[in-house]
Amino acid sequence: MALISNRQEATDWQKKHDVNAPKVGDFAPDFELLDSNSENPVRLSYYQGKRPVALIFGSFT
Amino acid sequence: MSLQDLYAKYHQQVQFLSIYIREAHPVDGWWFGRGPMSFLLKLSRSRVATDVYDPVTIEERRAVAGQCQHALQYGIHTYVDDMDDAVNKAYAAWPTRLYLIGLDGRVEYAAGLGPWDFHPAKLDKAIETYLANTPGE
Repeated sequence: MALISNRQEATDWQKKHDVNAPKVGDFAPDFELLDSNSENPVRLSYYQGKRPVALIFGSFT
Repeated sequence: MSLQDLYAKYHQQVQFLSIYIREAHPVDGWWFGRGPMSFLLKLSRSRVATDVYDPVTIEERRAVAGQCQHALQYGIHTYVDDMDDAVNKAYAAWPTRLYLIGLDGRVEYAAGLGPWDFHPAKLDKAIETYLANTPGE
């Protein structure tokens, strides 16, 4: 039961947020994040006009 | 085509940002540490972890992100989404997703929802096409 519940939660989360995710041609939402040592802040918009950016989202599991 | 391959191929022309987000299959969630998925992960010699709990503080999240970066060895510097999952939500990125952002700040490639559309080879093609059509790149 837990497996089904967790799977449904994941599906619901994706449906909820995917409608607002940027599509090709949209401006990419800007963000500023720190690394795993709470250092080296990075801002997406810093690279505008400098380099294209590949974003790779994921986790350890 | 792996992420390591992509990084090796384009890192001098493209900025790669790996963003650690909420865990996909933590022990206290939709866990893949038992059953058929556990068997498949072992069979594929996947380097994903099966013993990680979903971090509940930013300190825990940064610690797991550091372990992840060390273990997966993509060569790509990892940044950590905040506990409000703001970046994850803005990109509907959970559990995993790929994007290419052009010099003008617009999306050039947006993969479909992960994990089904997590294909580094598609990102490779998108980068190749973008660089070929962008003067000066």
